[in-house]
Amino acid sequence: MCECRNCNHCDKKDDSLTVSRRKVMAWSIGAINLAVFGAVFGPVLGFLGSPLKARTKKEWVPVCGLDELEPGKTKEVTYVVRVKDGYTMADHRYALFLKREANEVVAIDPACTHLGCKVQYQEKQGRYLCPCHGGVFDTEGNVVSGPPPKALLRHAVEVRDGQVFVQRNA
Amino acid sequence: MAREVITPEKPADVTHPPMEPVEELRVERPSLRDWTDLRLGWWGFVRKNLDEPMPPGVGWWQTLGNLLLTLLMFQFVTGFALAMFYAPSPQSAYESVVHITTQVPLGSFVRGLHVWGSTLIVVVTVLHILRVFFWGSYKKPRELTWLVGVLIFNVILGFSFTGYLLPWDQKAYWATVVGTRIAATVPFVGHDLLVLIRGGEEVGALTLTRFYAIHVMLLPAALMGLTAIHLYLVRRLHIAGPVLPQKGKPVPFFPVQLFRDAVVVLVGLGMLVYLAAAFPPAIEAMADPAGTDFSPRPEWYFLGLYELLKIMPQGFEVVATVIVPGLVSLGMLFLPWLDRSSSRHPAMRASIIVAGTAVCLMIGLMTLKGILETPPPHGESHSEPAQTHAMRVE
Repeated sequence: MCECRNCNHCDKKDDSLTVSRRKVMAWSIGAINLAVFGAVFGPVLGFLGSPLKARTKKEWVPVCGLDELEPGKTKEVTYVVRVKDGYTMADHRYALFLKREANEVVAIDPACTHLGCKVQYQEKQGRYLCPCHGGVFDTEGNVVSGPPPKALLRHAVEVRDGQVFVQRNA
Repeated sequence: MAREVITPEKPADVTHPPMEPVEELRVERPSLRDWTDLRLGWWGFVRKNLDEPMPPGVGWWQTLGNLLLTLLMFQFVTGFALAMFYAPSPQSAYESVVHITTQVPLGSFVRGLHVWGSTLIVVVTVLHILRVFFWGSYKKPRELTWLVGVLIFNVILGFSFTGYLLPWDQKAYWATVVGTRIAATVPFVGHDLLVLIRGGEEVGALTLTRFYAIHVMLLPAALMGLTAIHLYLVRRLHIAGPVLPQKGKPVPFFPVQLFRDAVVVLVGLGMLVYLAAAFPPAIEAMADPAGTDFSPRPEWYFLGLYELLKIMPQGFEVVATVIVPGLVSLGMLFLPWLDRSSSRHPAMRASIIVAGTAVCLMIGLMTLKGILETPPPHGESHSEPAQTHAMRVE
């Protein structure tokens, strides 16, 4: 066996030194890689996950005049809200079903509670029908049949000076 | 030309073997071809692939992978061209697609190649998967080739889901509203998932940029990496060949099998060009969350899932959205470990063949039901501004 520590004549080098050095370097390389990886992916993941932290606040928005609604009937209205849409402020048009009974107004959101398709109101049958997966709701928005798990969402409504306001995310 | 190799002196250090490529580099006055080849080793690589032995019995069924690869490369090219004219924001996405379709010379055709290409890719991928399934080619030692292939299939579905939103028309918008809501049915983390995918509570500007970034950067990178591994494994482990070994000697890949590949590519791309020219893709009215007469409808190959959602009773939608697709995906992914029989012959692994056929039939029937029963995406009273957009530029 060769006695030298680092010769080029044999491959039986002094293991006690080399092995520990190799280990230290291997671990260091691993640690450096981890740090580099973390330095890139950490911020990127935080960046991509940022919408989770966004808080929406509720706001009252005018929808239509009370006199536009016939008592006892359901009417589909559309209204425009200026909302923050990512990097921009945009005018978003939304639809809403309003049902007036005396001076009280019920506002039913058209998004099906199943998977979010827009329900359509069938006046003759007094039913909301979802065109996607066949959900059926009654005039109050309660589920009659089909897959929807719960009643249609109702927005809080206020009537001020003959104007109908609903509360929604802005 | 005379090639004279100058043999280097034997190195004193015998612990390392002599490095042969460096030796070869010492050719004096090589031809340009030799010069580049000595550096790149390209011809050796090409030769090796052209000489790849094909077991006897390999034929037309083994051309689908190559067709798929070609279609994917085409998709990259047409996608690159479209991206040059496309602007991913709610204010401009729709207008830019209308511009591509009606104003840009050949724009409607290029978009047609991309849209029909995506459909053809799904069809060819499914045929390719079925071929490998019935031939049992996923068995030892090709388990990882199969696994990577299933991952590629999922990437392809990801492409079609994210690409569907980009035109920002009614069809795109509502399919994405429903498609992303599926994520919200996942227990516990559903809502967070929904917000992460959409980039907010609603489908909007950030959904579009997210889908665009995923469609043009993340998925292509994933596809290229996975395809490289898949092809490497196909070459490393060689083609499985027929279920029962056939008599005869292996035949080199070139020219017989490569000729078959070329013929199939010609037919496939001929079909693609015909479809793109004869049936240019339409564009619906612009996305409108308050639109009244619109029936959302997914791309046809997702209609099976769509039908499954219809028949699920109240409170069980998670079965259709998560459990069934999850089990099918996991089953596909780990098929080589579910089917432990040593034989590749279908008769010797009847249970897995029956189960696989049953799943395929169910998906096929549900898709057919969806195609037959789902009304066209827009209602009767639709004012059809889209028709003009669908017209080709002559």
